[in-house]
Amino acid sequence: MIATIVKKEVLGHILSFRFIVTLALLLVVVPVTTFVLTNDYLKRIDDASLRQAEIETYLRSYAHFNRIGNILQATPTPIPFHALVRGLAPDINLGEFDNDPLPVMFPLVDLVFIVTILMSLVALIFAYDAVSGEKEDGTLKLALANGLARPKVILAKVAGGGLTLLVPFLLSLILGLLVILVHPGVDWKGPDWVALALVTLGTALYVMLFYGLGVFISSRHHSSSASIMTSLLVWVLLVLVVPSLSPYIASFLSPTPSRIQVDREAERLGDTERDDLGRKLQAERMRELVAKYPVLNERLSEADKKRLMERDPAAREAFEAARKATQGAWDEANRVQGEKIDTVRRAAAQQEEAQTGLARTISMVSPLSVFTYLATDLSSTGLRNEAYFGRVSDVWDRAFWDYAQKRIAELQAKDPATDWWNTPVDMSDRPRFVYTAEALGGRVEAALPGFLLLFGYGLVFFVLAYVSFLKYDVR
Amino acid sequence: MTWTIVRKEILANLLSYKFYVVILLAAVLVATSFFIMTRDYKERLADYSLIRPKPGEPIAVNPPNPLSIFAKGLDEAMARSFEVGPTGISVRAGQKSGNTVFAFFPTPDFLYIVRVVLSLVALLFGFDQVSREKEAGTLRQMLANQTSRSTILIGKWAGNFLSLAVPFLLVTTLGIAVLGLDPDIRFSSDQVLRLGLILALTLVYIAFFLSLGILISTLTRRASSSIVILLFIWALLVFILPNLGTLVARQVVDVPSVRALSEKREQVWTREILLRIKGQGDMPSHIRSISAENDALEADYRVKFDRLVNLSKNINRISPVASFVYAVTEIAGTGIGEEGAFKGEVVRYKNAVLGKRLASPDLKSSEYPAFLYRYRPLGRVLVRGALFDTAWLAAFGILFFALSYLAFVRYDVR
Repeated sequence: MIATIVKKEVLGHILSFRFIVTLALLLVVVPVTTFVLTNDYLKRIDDASLRQAEIETYLRSYAHFNRIGNILQATPTPIPFHALVRGLAPDINLGEFDNDPLPVMFPLVDLVFIVTILMSLVALIFAYDAVSGEKEDGTLKLALANGLARPKVILAKVAGGGLTLLVPFLLSLILGLLVILVHPGVDWKGPDWVALALVTLGTALYVMLFYGLGVFISSRHHSSSASIMTSLLVWVLLVLVVPSLSPYIASFLSPTPSRIQVDREAERLGDTERDDLGRKLQAERMRELVAKYPVLNERLSEADKKRLMERDPAAREAFEAARKATQGAWDEANRVQGEKIDTVRRAAAQQEEAQTGLARTISMVSPLSVFTYLATDLSSTGLRNEAYFGRVSDVWDRAFWDYAQKRIAELQAKDPATDWWNTPVDMSDRPRFVYTAEALGGRVEAALPGFLLLFGYGLVFFVLAYVSFLKYDVR
Repeated sequence: MTWTIVRKEILANLLSYKFYVVILLAAVLVATSFFIMTRDYKERLADYSLIRPKPGEPIAVNPPNPLSIFAKGLDEAMARSFEVGPTGISVRAGQKSGNTVFAFFPTPDFLYIVRVVLSLVALLFGFDQVSREKEAGTLRQMLANQTSRSTILIGKWAGNFLSLAVPFLLVTTLGIAVLGLDPDIRFSSDQVLRLGLILALTLVYIAFFLSLGILISTLTRRASSSIVILLFIWALLVFILPNLGTLVARQVVDVPSVRALSEKREQVWTREILLRIKGQGDMPSHIRSISAENDALEADYRVKFDRLVNLSKNINRISPVASFVYAVTEIAGTGIGEEGAFKGEVVRYKNAVLGKRLASPDLKSSEYPAFLYRYRPLGRVLVRGALFDTAWLAAFGILFFALSYLAFVRYDVR
């Protein structure tokens, strides 16, 4: 019997006007987006290799250790998944004079955007009259009059509707993937396909969840026009409002000092406060020494000092001790203040991390955020990838630093007086930074809670729909 | 007669479930957005007071714009500090927060609420104007009484527009009045005028979507199919078209990446400095050529980038929603045009500082002129596109209303 109702639901939807519109819309939007994003990806690959060539030219002429700090840096290269998912936009670059403001005004469309905004809306459009509409048409009471169990009806409705919804999405995705496959420049590997399959699974959960929500709302209303009103209201809140508000709420609940404030504090600690401390320590230590070597108390010019040191070994010892004491005092001051700066920076970083975590948690009230994190983490374009990139670039930084030390030691071995800071060095054998996305295992592990959460939300909405439908007055 | 229908519409709305849900939603969202964006603005203001250059320091910093509470736009990019170093500008994006979740979702400013939520609300007011009354059978009865169709349509439009616009304006002006009580937020009279214009534009925007709703309602027989069509059109206009246009424009116009540009700058600087170390030429001439070459790079980038911006603006204007966003951000002084003008000023300031430094090398660092950015006057903003965008939006509204009139005249009310 369930099969019959599922079939009826599927057929009912497929023949409906909204199905055709959805199909047409998705069949246009998804391939166009993929096409445009693929070209954009290829362009960025070109740009990256052009830049690499420029860097090589630069290094041929100016490979001094003094001149490469800003040139040899770990930069993320575009990954093939960018043809579908853009993730955290790297274009908004506030650190450069020429930043690109366009994506700030209108965020770029990608697969995640289509799924989160469009598919959730479509799911509610499909579901809003699932119960209330049939009641209005009078078919619901006829169906139930025939000894059909309510649980079966609601189960079949959710299953049938959700499955039908996935059809236009999958068709359009296949069309979009053809674009990627046809492009010779885009090289998708095994892990990419697995990640895509998982993202699609996430999409299925996400869409079913919204369909369940729609059926739930529908079975709380007796007219379909009221049902769509409530559905849209809930959609606006869940999809458009909660995610945008979450970082602001988090910054309210768990404030962090602004980065400027932290920088200023660090500057003060490392500059004026360090000088004060250094002078104080120096004065203290000198006082002890002056008691021991009265010669230090005399005001001598540098030349006199030098002469005195040559003549008198005791004076030499005294000046040597004074130099050491001064050095020691300033080293101590640098160490103490350095620790303080570290503490301030670490505290700020911890607070930022806490705030980010809180924002993430709050935003997960909305399935949109859950899916966004899941999809961007799986495609290594999201928060997790940012942390991963930080780690690999640290590794490279260390490797390059070791290499630089080795080269400097070589230069000094050849000629101790060399100005290694400003001497051209052949750096063609330097360790190069090659960016590859994180291994799939880690990404999947990170996405697992997201899957569970989406499934959990879906289950809750389904149970709510189920309970409401059992008590629904079909007359 | 029109007035009677307007009254009837308003009263019907006042008694409906839809009205309360929708108005409550809009009111809560507008209030929340004001609250959040005010806090954001104040935080940036506190940062500004930390980084504000001391008199004579060659640093260009623009204070955050209070209108960014309503339309944040590019204000964050414009409120960075641009320090004129020995050879160029070094940028500090201090205000950037470490919280990456901000980067995932759009800023919930007033513009966003209006653009996304209020447009949907306006559609919900318009979608069943004709088809519902037809389904209920009241349309027939009205027309049987010698009321002309145009009177009904105008009455419906005006009634719904008023029942949407009046509560919205009340909530918004109340919110603005509360903002006005805050001693940290000062609007100049020019900014108050700009704010008034933004509110007026918002009304045009609402009118556009209401007309669209009524148009689709007159083209469909049933309210349920009307809403389905409208939601698809809405998603296209608000989300897909403007966001896709930016990407499509990139396919046509080649713009070097920002990173490539800064690497080129580095190259110029190194080349000149090494020439100097080798003992060729004097420092001022090297600095001059670095500055000139950087300016040329910048100008070249600007030309290409402006082409990209113009193209993507024009593509995006297929959707009047994009026109609305452009007009509001430009009027607020946080738009792309304003940002370009601002950067031009920063470059000019840099050249002035460098010129001064080269003319008298032993100048103390505390004797540079202060940087003060004057926002482009409202007249110029309007002429440079905002007026066109407004007209474009209004034209679409009028077109849709005219089309709905045509459709309604031939509508079968049985």
